[in-house]
Order: sequence, then structure tokens, then C-alpha cells
Amino acid sequence: MTHIEALASCLLEGDPDKAWACIENYPESARPDVYHNLMTPAMRHIGHLWETNKITVADEHLATATCDFILSRLSYGIGKETSAGKAMFLCLDGEQHYLGLKMVDSLFKEHGWETRYFGPSLPLEYALHTAENWKPDVIGLSVSIVYHLPKLQQYVDAFSRLPENPAVLVGGRLTDLYNLRPHCKEDTVILRSLPETERWIQNDLTGGQQSGTTNSTPSPPVFES
Amino acid sequence: MEQLTLPLPLPYLKVNRDGRIVAYSALAEDHFDLSSGHIRTLVDEESINKLDRISSEAGLSPVKMELNMKTNENPLGLFDVHLQWDSENQAGMIFLPKDSSNEELIQKLADIQNRLSSSDFELLEKKEELENVLKRMDRLSGPFIPLSDTLCLIPLFGDITADKINTISESCLQSVFSGSYEMVLFDLTAVGEVHADGIGTFIQLVKTLKFMTGNVIKLIGIKPNLAKELNRHDLDQWVQFNHSLKEELTYLDQ
Ligand code: B12
Repeated sequence: MTHIEALASCLLEGDPDKAWACIENYPESARPDVYHNLMTPAMRHIGHLWETNKITVADEHLATATCDFILSRLSYGIGKETSAGKAMFLCLDGEQHYLGLKMVDSLFKEHGWETRYFGPSLPLEYALHTAENWKPDVIGLSVSIVYHLPKLQQYVDAFSRLPENPAVLVGGRLTDLYNLRPHCKEDTVILRSLPETERWIQNDLTGGQQSGTTNSTPSPPVFES
Repeated sequence: MEQLTLPLPLPYLKVNRDGRIVAYSALAEDHFDLSSGHIRTLVDEESINKLDRISSEAGLSPVKMELNMKTNENPLGLFDVHLQWDSENQAGMIFLPKDSSNEELIQKLADIQNRLSSSDFELLEKKEELENVLKRMDRLSGPFIPLSDTLCLIPLFGDITADKINTISESCLQSVFSGSYEMVLFDLTAVGEVHADGIGTFIQLVKTLKFMTGNVIKLIGIKPNLAKELNRHDLDQWVQFNHSLKEELTYLDQ
């Protein structure tokens, strides 16, 4: 059994201690590697198990809660020094797939950003209200379900009218499957993976040009070590 | 496509190997838009492969699978689908909507989770506010007062803590460096309690000032409790001790 399958089965058992042991046994220890190379594929493997009729959505709920716990534990205590900027993260209204977003939040914290993580399903008025008061430099949105795409446009439009002009980042499963540009603005940054996100953060720190995915060539992984 | 007259308590469809709907129950028509006459248009795109695979592997025994279905109410409704092929290559399919009370429970869990994280934010916000207030109070406890081109005064108010002295040091050093003062007076008349780490930081500040500017530094208004603390540190080479601001100013007048 691969590390990925082993973790998936611990998550499905709903055993946080066993799942934590899987994380500790994994040869790579940097958080981004664990997120990208182990936890994301484990959740997708769980999707595969559902497609092959081995598990049910109820099992996925349990796996999700366990995975959530592991994520919280992994990112506990990071983000002490906060100087790089402010970022808020949310899922579109109705969108429950928040695990990826939570990883991205953790990634930003690790890079010294002050963040606010709202998790699943945040109504637009609430998101706007926070953005107006807290004035983030970055707003990150996650979308996994096709039927939520019309809302994406609504959110992106509303955020683009904010006076501080925050960078709007869009991520989630659908970025891999569809061209989301028609649902976004020209300057919306579409990021398809954690390595791509990490590159964006690094460019942002050095003040480089920020474009995200504008063409369709997939980028090579950035986590070499 | 034929409507079954049999009163069935669940949606039922009969489909052939191509996925064409050959018969349907009344409830099936209530739940789904059957106008295309094809099973594919009722199933979510990302459930179709599952249906294809599981149904083609089924043989003649009944199988059960979860599928996301497009219903008249919901583009992604979760169903338990029971399917069985008959000898005429037609599959009977019964659609059992997943109990929505489950959803309710899950929604409640999510709400609690949300509340936990939002009260987290509120606490965090309050903490930040408090820290800012404290910082501001610290800053106000050591104002910088230029008395002339060459003389400045920094009265300290309240308890001497390391945090407070650190906060004051920043603006104090900046102000002293930006002028051309020859003498710096620290008035300690209004000092309350003295914390050990506070006194250490204060001495550090005095030494930095002395070292960087070569100015004369005087401590005035020292009360007995503070004198005792200061005596422990060998300060004579760094500062002069005088009695009160009044004396200091009279002396300067002469
Ligand atoms: C686990 C899971 C769930 C969990 C939720 C998990 C969670 N809280 O995140 C639960 C059980 C709650 C769930 C519920 C549902 N799900 Co679901 N779910 C999945 C599953 C199996 C895995 C998803 C996952 O966790 N992936 C791992 C994460 C880490 O990957 P990710 O989201 O892509 O994120 C990465 C990147 O995209 C990026 N990223 C993500 N967000 C962001 C944001 C920014 C700003 C950036 C820069 C980057 C970024 O970084 C991440 C890290 O690598 C998928 C199957 C699959 N293959 O994806 C189905 C799937 C997504 N679910 C699906 C469905 C249909 C549902 C339900 C409607 C089922 C139902 N009928 O009840 C519900 C409704 C949920 C809703 N309203 O949103 C369908 C969607 C089909 C469609 N047409 O869109 C899928 C594809 C399954 C399927 N084959 O049918 N699901």
C-alpha cells in the first residue's frame, strides 16, 4: 500500500492518531510537500473509492473531519511573525469543499502572512463586509462544484470594486478541469495547485509580475527537496 | 417511453443497454426531467462513469450505488440507486433519496464549526485591540519634551516594565538623535512600581543614549525604592543623579 492509500484508509477509519502517524512516517516533512504530495492525493483517492463504489458520501464526511483535524494540528503554531501582508480565504456560498482552501491558508501563514480563514460557504455580503473593514491585500476563493461557477463571477466582480484593490486569487478542483477565465476578471489570479500558489507568494514577496495561469500549460512541481 | 400504472412509492426507471428510458413510474416523473428520454441527462456528469462502470460489471445480480442526480429541485441530489438487469437487457432502477435529516445534522455540525472559528476571530480581534491600547498607554507614559535647543526632558509615568521602556525607547532615541541636545533629563518623580526586567531595559536605554550621543544624562526625582534598585547597577560612569526638576532648572538658570 502506498503512503497515499494508507493515509486515505486511516482518514476513512476516522482515526486521527493513526492518520497522524501516517503523516509522521511520510519521508517528506515540509508542510507544503505533505499537503501537495500526500494529503491532496489521499482525498482524491477517497473520491476514486467513491467512484468505484467502495465507500459512501457518509464515509467521505468522516474522512473529511479527520483530515481537517490533521490539517489543524499540522498548522498549529505557525504564523507568529506576520509582516508579509493580509489575506482572507473563503469558499463561495454553498461550497462545502474547504480542505484545499485550508491548506492554502496554512501556506500563506507559513510565508509570514496574517490570514483570516472562513472555511466553507461564506455569503458574499459577509465576505464584502469583512473585506471593507479588514482591508486584506489578498482574497482567496475556492470552488469545487460546477454549479457554483455563476457565483464566482459575482464574488470576483464585487471584490474588484473594493477601493483597496486586493489581489483576488481563485483556486480549487475546477481550475484543473475548466478554463475559469470567462468567470473572472482579467486581473484575477487563477492558481491550479499548491506549488503554483507558492510560486505566486514568492513572486509577490519580491514584487514580481503576477499573472497566475493565463495559458494552459501545466506548471512543473516546485517542491524539489 | 411508457408510464407504469403500478403505484410505486419510489422513483423507478427501466432503461436499455443504450441508456434509453423505456418505462418510468409516476414518482420518477415528479423527481426528474425525463424529456430527453435518456438516463445520461439525469445523472451528474461526474457520476456517469460510475454508473457506466458499476452497471456494466453487474451481471444479473442486483447492485447498489450512490449517484448524484439532477432532480427538479436540486442539480446535485444524492441517491442510493438500486439496479438490476433482466434477461431482456433492460435494467430496473430504483432511486432512494438519501435521507435529508443527515444533511441537517451535517449542516448543524458545520454551523458549530463556523461559530467556533468566528469566536476565535473575535477573541483575536479583542486581543489585538487590547495590545494596541497597551502600547499606546506605554507610549504616553514617556513623552519627549524639548525644553531648549540643547536640553530635553523625558518624564516617566507609572510602573517601569520592560515592555513600556521598549516602546518608549524607540521614539526617545529617534527624538534625541534628530536634535542637537547636550543634556537629557529623565524625570522619575511619577514612577510607581519598578520591575526588575524594566530597570534592566531602562539602564540599557540610558547606556545606548550615552554611548551614541555622548550627552550628559541626568536622572532626577529618584524615590528611595528606585534608588535602592539603581544602586545595584554601577551607574555613576553613565549618568548623574540630581534631586528634582525644579533644582535642575534653577541651576540651569544661573
Ligand atoms: C471529500 C469530498 C467531499 C467532502 C468535503 C470535503 C471538504 N470539506 O473539502 C464532503 C463529503 C462534505 C463532500 C460533499 C459533497 N460533494 Co464532494 N467530494 C469530495 C472529494 C472526494 C474530494 C475533495 C477533496 O477534498 N480534495 C482534496 C483537496 C485538498 O483538493 P482541492 O480542493 O482540489 O484543493 C487543492 C487545489 O485545488 C488548491 N486550492 C483549493 N482551493 C484553493 C483556493 C485558492 C485561493 C488557491 C490559490 C488554491 C486552492 O489547493 C488544494 C491543495 O492541493 C471529491 C472528489 C474529487 N476527485 O475531488 C468530491 C466531489 C468534489 N464532490 C462532489 C459532490 C457532488 C458533493 C456533494 C454535492 C455530494 C452530495 N450530493 O451530497 C456534496 C455537496 C458539497 C457542497 N455543497 O459543496 C462531486 C462534484 C461534482 C460536480 N459536478 O461538481 C465530486 C467531484 C465527487 C464526484 N465524483 O461526484 N464532498
